[in-house]
Amino acid sequence: MNFVDVVEGALKVDEITDTVSSTSCGAVSLFIGTTRDNFEGKKVIQLEYEAYTPMAKAKMLEVCENIRKKWDVENIAMIHRIGIVPVKEASIIIAVSSPHRKESLEAVAYAIETVKAIVPVWKKEIYENDLSSWKQNKECAWANNDISFDSKPVKNTVEIGTDLAKQKSQ
Amino acid sequence: MEKSEHREFVEVNLLFFAKSREIVGQKSILFELPKITTRNLIIDSITKKFPDLQQISKNILLSLNEEYLDQDCSVTLKAGDELAVIPPLSGG
Repeated sequence: MNFVDVVEGALKVDEITDTVSSTSCGAVSLFIGTTRDNFEGKKVIQLEYEAYTPMAKAKMLEVCENIRKKWDVENIAMIHRIGIVPVKEASIIIAVSSPHRKESLEAVAYAIETVKAIVPVWKKEIYENDLSSWKQNKECAWANNDISFDSKPVKNTVEIGTDLAKQKSQ
Repeated sequence: MEKSEHREFVEVNLLFFAKSREIVGQKSILFELPKITTRNLIIDSITKKFPDLQQISKNILLSLNEEYLDQDCSVTLKAGDELAVIPPLSGG
């Protein structure tokens, strides 16, 4: 079974673990992505996520299919939280069950890397000094790889670097 | 852009997310584009309509009906298609 969702509100690890548990499996592997309270010395007070929800779900299902091509796993669940996520809380939980642990451990690691690269979800960090910054994943192929995403403060928002000539090539 | 007898235009839903949504100030608009076009020409049309998007235009992808257009390619649009401006991802 593949289960994917994009939700507002706190994620429940127990429920998601139950979703993938299976009597024929000897392992459930979990990845829980949580929000950090600091970025380059700045105090992060909260994070805001937004998603292109239908496409995000479609891309997460694509990740599930790719996992099944590579590993013998039983059930897969991926739930991304959107909206305001307070520091320390889970923004994403990925759970995979498999008959033997190696497959689900490898599948979970692959899943989070791939989610960061292809699932249309965005995170904005809000700092204590009223600045904020849209983040970009290093796994994202069209991110600006030369200039820090938040190097140029303008008004209340920290801007993407403007050296656009050196776009990362795929 | 002037309509001509030789070029057929269609109206699509154009969505903006994250940084691009903040720059444009809207989540979605109806947008008229040539029926037969290319990915890069679409980006040109969008940045012409919203010049402030130029600051991120080299670091965005487009999606068409939930599939990435990750390089320049010819595109045939239908009325009601869903195009989205996709800034660098930061999920997870």
